[in-house]
Amino acid sequence: MDAAAVPVRSPRRFRFVAAQELGLVLVVILLAAVLSLYGWYDASPGRPNLFLSFDNLIDGIATPMSYYAIMAVGLTLVIITGGIDISVGAIMALAALGGAAALQALPPDAPAMLVLPVAILVPTGIGLLCGLVNGGLIVGLSLHPFIVTLGTMSVFRGLANVLPAEKTLPAAGKHLPAAFTTDFMRLEIMGMQLMPLAIMLICVALGWFYLRLMVAGRETYAVGGNEEAARFSGLGVGAIKLRTYAIAGLAAGVAGMVSLGRFGTASTSTGSGYELTVIAAAVVGGASLQGGRGTAIGALLGTLVIALIENGILILRLAQEYRLVIIGLAIIVAVSLDRLSGCLGRRRSAPLPAAPPPPPVTPGPETRS
Amino acid sequence: MSAPFIQFRGITKTFGGVTALDEVSFGIARGECHGLMGENGAGKSTLGNVLAGIHKPDAGELLIDGVPHRFGSPRAALAAGVAMVHQELAFCPDLSIAENLCMGHYPRRWGGLLLDRDAMRRHAGQLLAEIGVVLDVERPMGGLSTAQEQLVQIAAAVGNTPRILVFDEPTSSLSEPEAQALFALIEALKRRGLTMIYVSHRMPELFRLCDQVSVLRDGRYVGSLARERMTPDAVVRMMIGRSLETHAPRHLAAPAGEVVLRVRGLASPGRFQDVSFDVRAGEIVGFAGLVGAGRSEVATAIFGLDSRVTGQVGLDGAPFPLRSIKAAMGVGIGLVPEDRKRQGCVPGMPCRANISLAILGRLRRLGMLNFTRERQLARRYFDRLQVKAASLDAPVNSLSGGNQQKIVLAKWLARGGRLLIVDEPTRGVDVGAKAAIHALLDDLAREGLAILLISSELPEVIALSTRVLVMRQGRIVGELPHADATQDAVLRLMAGVGRAACGIRKKV
Ligand SMILES: Nc1ncnc2c1ncn2[C@@H]1O[C@H](COP(=O)(O)OP(=O)(O)OP(=O)(O)O)[C@@H](O)[C@H]1O
Ligand SMILES: [Mg+2]
Repeated sequence: MDAAAVPVRSPRRFRFVAAQELGLVLVVILLAAVLSLYGWYDASPGRPNLFLSFDNLIDGIATPMSYYAIMAVGLTLVIITGGIDISVGAIMALAALGGAAALQALPPDAPAMLVLPVAILVPTGIGLLCGLVNGGLIVGLSLHPFIVTLGTMSVFRGLANVLPAEKTLPAAGKHLPAAFTTDFMRLEIMGMQLMPLAIMLICVALGWFYLRLMVAGRETYAVGGNEEAARFSGLGVGAIKLRTYAIAGLAAGVAGMVSLGRFGTASTSTGSGYELTVIAAAVVGGASLQGGRGTAIGALLGTLVIALIENGILILRLAQEYRLVIIGLAIIVAVSLDRLSGCLGRRRSAPLPAAPPPPPVTPGPETRS
Repeated sequence: MSAPFIQFRGITKTFGGVTALDEVSFGIARGECHGLMGENGAGKSTLGNVLAGIHKPDAGELLIDGVPHRFGSPRAALAAGVAMVHQELAFCPDLSIAENLCMGHYPRRWGGLLLDRDAMRRHAGQLLAEIGVVLDVERPMGGLSTAQEQLVQIAAAVGNTPRILVFDEPTSSLSEPEAQALFALIEALKRRGLTMIYVSHRMPELFRLCDQVSVLRDGRYVGSLARERMTPDAVVRMMIGRSLETHAPRHLAAPAGEVVLRVRGLASPGRFQDVSFDVRAGEIVGFAGLVGAGRSEVATAIFGLDSRVTGQVGLDGAPFPLRSIKAAMGVGIGLVPEDRKRQGCVPGMPCRANISLAILGRLRRLGMLNFTRERQLARRYFDRLQVKAASLDAPVNSLSGGNQQKIVLAKWLARGGRLLIVDEPTRGVDVGAKAAIHALLDDLAREGLAILLISSELPEVIALSTRVLVMRQGRIVGELPHADATQDAVLRLMAGVGRAACGIRKKV
């Protein structure tokens, strides 16, 4: 059989938003529409729309959600393999504190050439190391990832408490080099601080690339979809898992770096409680805790949904006390909507099966050239 | 003729865009054993599932004893007396056999508060005894072989004392003697007046058991044949619209080549001992044996999946380390595993991704996957194995059982190598595709691949193999060259009688 003669098309390869993500896009549009209308109605005359203004969109939504989204991409990889990592918030704190400790040793006016490598390598290195510890324990001892990361969450947070001399870094009287903070992470372009947003989008793009186009991504799905079949197919399941947890740690390190640069400080409580929001974001984004399902774009959309709801509570001036209740309910609703539209999408997209292979002319003997 | 006991009227069922059943109408008389045949994906399981309450039909009516039924759940079907032995087995692997067997109606004590373990054990033992199976009911389900699982499921279905019993390929993982025991059971059930639907791809057993055979093609009812008119040719004609020519394996004529796989003194505690044999290039070496004889265990051990195995293995004269899949795959060994659902495929991933799973390394270019080549490859094996699926991107779990098997086979054919171990390669595959797979294995052998074939279907082993090795209780008990490998001779060895009488050359 001549393979080259078979017309080969790959229609799904470049489809950016899969059917399961369509529901999320709708949720996002719906939320944004409601908030825009209210923001326009509620704004005092002559003032910009409360919701639909660059101030709100960037500082109120994009920047705060960037830490979550970056970590959600990493966590989505972990969830796809059928695992979980609840230590990401603690890793973020450790990375931010480590970065602060290293940077405060430099003079405040140190040149960017010197500052940026330190500011980038130290937090991401710490994140990667923590991720490798997680992965190593999970793979090496074949322990359940929930148990392992429950333990390391506590250990990492504990280290964040004891290692720095003070609860907040940089220490009193010291400052982080401006080359990293005001001139990099808080860099203003047309009056907007776009750096966290940009880093978040880069991370999502990298995640998309990894999962969608790289062999490593395919292996991730295979391990989550059926670990035993993956092993029977000769995939190095342990190495794949180790790599995945390392990436999740790395992502938490990046989040720590962004947070450090933006606030100019890191404290022992940085990122505490983030893990739950990140897990929620990944799950709202369509990752299945049973493994085998999830996308980077989904992680971004999932975080966006949560960020919009948080922002909406402010815009609509709802009582802050109900914040958690509203977010919790919204997560459940969003996940159900997503599943529902996923089902509908499958039903709608299915009726066009590809042309079946031409019926074989002779039944039995196959002739091979 | 009186009104049929079970009447399907215009039953239609679609999954997404795939029409699994298209206005199927026919009747089944009371007390008969009704065979159901058709190619893979013809809709046999779907029809059974409609009857057993797993799927709701989109349109059409189902009458049992003249009463229309529309089952919303398997429970509702059970209440109406319909039980089914499913093709794809589903159990709780961590629960014991007894717990699985009594699921849904656990015997209780103390006013329903406590589980009555003794009663449960007794009940489970009875159910198994009823179909003539001896198993320790305390064992966890997960430790059983596929065949044992199958037997447990049959026990569970029969234990529900149904009026109607649907068997969906019950013998696909049973070996000959167990299948014979099942046939005896079915005949006994028939005498008790049960109405049975029997789905299978194996014609001899259908002809033996069934009073009537109905054929589905592409979801449509084609027709039925009464006992007098059942011939393999007539059935095949109805199934695929033409006759099927059989051909003798051609690799047998060619002289065998160099020794490819050499196994010496392979042993794994509790599984098999002292296993030694060679497989030469261009040979198909068949492994026969009862279920539990250790055939699949030997296969997985050679493939590096047994952590306690000892012994020597060599490929092309060079020894390679045991206990490492990487090493086994590195020297060119492939394994089509026995249990396609657990070990064979990733159900949620598209067919093309499953086919390329074992050769991802070759499709890698700078870390990226070459999608174009992946599709070409998948398309090639779709055509070659006549896979029926909505598209290359359809997830494997949306395919019918036989087509899933073809995907698993395609994965290893795509990899190629020196030695291919195929464990039950045609389980659940229809006659046309089975002939195609046999021809394919034959061709591969003629091209110089060494093939180790494990199959519980004796005719398959006997017809295809250059030599048949028979295993019993974890040991190789004999070897028969193609000419001497008759059904009778192999069965005797399998059961452990008349070893001397057969004049077996014991392998050294
Ligand atoms: N859950 C499902 N989702 C989507 N498609 C399905 C599903 N179940 C069955 N199908 C499709 O319906 C058709 C009939 O499937 P069915 O399992 O009834 O075939 P079958 O006759 O039992 O085949 P086999 O001999 O291989 O077991 C197939 O094309 C299959 O792909
Ligand atoms: Mg079937």
